[in-house]
Amino acid sequence: MSDQSRADIAVAKFLEHTDSEAASFFEACVHCGECAEACHFYLSTGDPKYTPTYKLQPMIRAYNRDKAPFSSLKKMIGLAPSKVTEEELLEWEPLVYDSCTMCARCTLVCPMGIDIAGTIRKMREGYAAAGMVPEGLQSAAEYVEKTSSPMGVTIKALKAQIAHQEKACGIPIEVDKQGADYMAIFSSMEIMGYPEVLGAYAKLFKKAGVSWTISSVAYEATNVGVQIGSAPLAKDILQRVVDAAEALEVKHVISPECGHAYGAIRWAGPNMMGRQFKFEVVHIIELLDKLRREGKIPAGKKDGRRMTLHDPCQIIRRGGLLKEPRSLLDDSCSDFIEMKGAGMASFCCGGGGGVSANPRAEELKTAAFGLKAEQLNSVENLETVVVPCANCRTVFEDGLDAYELDLEVIGLSELVAETLAED
Amino acid sequence: MKQPLTTGRLSNTTWFARVATLMLLCALALVFATSAALANSHVRPPGDAVNVIADDGAPNTLGDRSDAEIWDDFRGGDPKDLLAPRPEGTVMTTTGQQWRVIRERFIVKYAGWFPVGVIGILALFFVVKGRMPIKGGRSGKTVPRFTLIHRIAHWTTAGVFMILGLSGLIILLGRPVILPLFGHEVNSTLTSASLQGHNLFGPLFIVCLIWMFVKFIRGNLFQLVDLKWILKLGGLFGGHVSSSQFNFGEKSWFWLLMIVGAVMSVTGLALEFPWFTEDLRWLQLSTILHGVGAITLICVSIGHIYMGTIGVEGAIDSMLIGEVDENWAKEHHDLWYEEVTGKSAKDDGNEEGAVT
Amino acid sequence: MSFIDFVEGPLYYVAATIFVFGALWRVIGIIRIGRKKDISPPKGSAALGFFKGNLRHFFPRGIFARRTWLHIVGGYGFHLGLFGVLLFAAPHVAFISDRITGFSWPTLPRWGFIITAEIAFLGLIVLWVRRFSDPVMRLISDWDDHIGTWLTFLAMLSGCFALGESSVFLRATHMLLIDIWLIYFPFGRLMHAFTFFLSRGNTGATYGRKGMNL
Repeated sequence: MSDQSRADIAVAKFLEHTDSEAASFFEACVHCGECAEACHFYLSTGDPKYTPTYKLQPMIRAYNRDKAPFSSLKKMIGLAPSKVTEEELLEWEPLVYDSCTMCARCTLVCPMGIDIAGTIRKMREGYAAAGMVPEGLQSAAEYVEKTSSPMGVTIKALKAQIAHQEKACGIPIEVDKQGADYMAIFSSMEIMGYPEVLGAYAKLFKKAGVSWTISSVAYEATNVGVQIGSAPLAKDILQRVVDAAEALEVKHVISPECGHAYGAIRWAGPNMMGRQFKFEVVHIIELLDKLRREGKIPAGKKDGRRMTLHDPCQIIRRGGLLKEPRSLLDDSCSDFIEMKGAGMASFCCGGGGGVSANPRAEELKTAAFGLKAEQLNSVENLETVVVPCANCRTVFEDGLDAYELDLEVIGLSELVAETLAED
Repeated sequence: MKQPLTTGRLSNTTWFARVATLMLLCALALVFATSAALANSHVRPPGDAVNVIADDGAPNTLGDRSDAEIWDDFRGGDPKDLLAPRPEGTVMTTTGQQWRVIRERFIVKYAGWFPVGVIGILALFFVVKGRMPIKGGRSGKTVPRFTLIHRIAHWTTAGVFMILGLSGLIILLGRPVILPLFGHEVNSTLTSASLQGHNLFGPLFIVCLIWMFVKFIRGNLFQLVDLKWILKLGGLFGGHVSSSQFNFGEKSWFWLLMIVGAVMSVTGLALEFPWFTEDLRWLQLSTILHGVGAITLICVSIGHIYMGTIGVEGAIDSMLIGEVDENWAKEHHDLWYEEVTGKSAKDDGNEEGAVT
Repeated sequence: MSFIDFVEGPLYYVAATIFVFGALWRVIGIIRIGRKKDISPPKGSAALGFFKGNLRHFFPRGIFARRTWLHIVGGYGFHLGLFGVLLFAAPHVAFISDRITGFSWPTLPRWGFIITAEIAFLGLIVLWVRRFSDPVMRLISDWDDHIGTWLTFLAMLSGCFALGESSVFLRATHMLLIDIWLIYFPFGRLMHAFTFFLSRGNTGATYGRKGMNL
């Protein structure tokens, strides 16, 4: 591939993905700089290059040169912006991948309502098509092609974890059960790092009296395609899940405590496949809240530890589930305190959207976690933090260590399962 | 420079105080403005006015009395008395004639030369002494000096001041300078435009002055080290003088600006809303103080601009980017440098011209 | 033809035409690019989200207001001041009713005009000073930002100079600068005046459909 053609491929993709929504964003930005004030990467480093709108520069320039309403006129009189070069694309690659988790805090603050986070997602399409993707994400993509899991988790490994959990909670976990109410998918991080979640599901669904299963061919929720920004890859990953779910004729697919997975299957999914699914998609937190409201999983003795909640960006700010985790926590614990700045505008952990899979972004990610550490420090005598996203949990583990904070980190499903009323 | 993280620098109390101040200023503005509407109703004829109309009702323009006597009846007051109130029953006053003389013969005649003189002196100073370089050259390392808000407050005030200064000078020097040089049309257009601009931007200066006071008061209180600075004449003839965040010269400029600025504000408002006083003396005094104050501020600000730009290498950085070179800080504000960085400002800590 | 006749006559008509058609061309051009229909099962209304998004982004979210208060105060001061002056100052209302609408409406008293103009000026100066003082702003600002700001400032300033309403030359200069401003408008970032409702609306609709109000 010659130098120029990589840039051409990227620019062509940029233009392809600049629909009227993205165009309206590019045409409305007044360079006010407020997005920087919302971005944890800018706030923790003070480096202006992490200004969200700045990250979109190459895509904006390509639009202004080739697609904007007066672009041909401007080209005629020599006032159109210059072509985007490969050099510039390479210079911007760390900005697009290392310093953005697509957390949408910038979207929240922008006076023009520009969805910078969503547009970064579109911009990554150009990079993925031109093969300019960070190494860490590239290897994750390769694992996915071989094993369906970005961490290379095989069905053998999954079955081993299932066996452990069945033993631990004493409840069978069925694989490939035809016609189950729910099919659960998990992130590799959960399967290998926090397998207790499997036991938690078993306990909760047994109590609720609903049938559930895990597919042996489609157990992975993490969508590396979304992180890399490759629609074809995202679609392939999703196809596996959709095919398996429809083959098993399950009524619902549960998206787990994971970040971008929910958005990928719930919102992007049908659009990528070009059709509706034959099942409904529900987030585990939504489901647990629903079951609790219906009285199917009543709460028992509350957990007494002083707790707070981390709001994963893709679940709360971009997922709309602000109330559900809180109402579940109100039932499950007796000493729940909100962090300063919690809720819709809470800080990102710093590792979502592919950043945690990117070793080059390690230092930046740790710096960004400083803002989360500040939030945690706002609660006196904090013991535990509930983190309903497996990726955030790994970031927390590294971050708490770096900032020398001694806190327990737990998932929400596990907490709800542990505080379930006794039979 | 590390930005503050989640907690903004403003506590809720300060936020509230700012909003309250803004609202107070708006209320004040409204008071002044509405008074304008009411002012018109206050016009009435002077008491005991001389009536030259004859008893039979027909106007007696030629009359029985001489012109001089008639004019004497209209006029009253001692021309030398600057501050006496207008005598009862007079239509024209000759008090304030002295004021007029002061204004025409001294202020208008000489005012324009002061800024020219200052520029001349500074040019000479620059030619003789040159630019004050940073001792040891730039180190390449910086120390934060002014936050974003400080810089915005400063440049906004500077911009408003420039507009006021320029328009003010045109108003003052229109008749003596512009008219003879460029003719009536140009003079009337320029002066008319300048008056409108000056009157509109004047109140903005008051807001900016308060803003500057609040932002820069800390560090501008006089200390013992300033006395030593004066005795060494600020290091003008060589030698090192210690200084905290602001040296004596800078502090003096701050306080001069605040005090003279306050005088400018009050006199300016008096001149823009003249109906607030029945007494012409206040307005006469205002014009003199306003003119003298203006020339003072313009002259000193020229010096300030010189020092901040050409005069001292590295000074402009503080206001343009908010950070200054370490060597500059050690040389000009060593005590501040030590306070802020915790490091010693002694010479052995200097790095020789690390960066071109 | 005198200077004022030219700037209030032929030049004005040219400028107004370029302004209207240029702005329309640009807005319609953006909409015509189109976007794919979202077929995922909705959780809320996109149409309602379009309006909610437009309203929501008028108000700075609490946690951000502390960090960005100067921009908000300056921004709103300038915009509200400018609209106040543009739409309610007597000379402007006279011009608009004479040339465009055929009807007029109540205007500000002169002191109201002055205060509103002062707020607009202070806001604009603060915004522009912020633009060259803040390192973020220095990085992301371009010629268009500065030209747009200065054209607006000069148009306003020339208007201020003409407040005496006795100099035809000053009035004509104000009109000339307005004409230049109108001609520049459709081609630069000043167009945000007409595109902001699209961008806020798009985000509002996209997230509104997902049952969120972002």
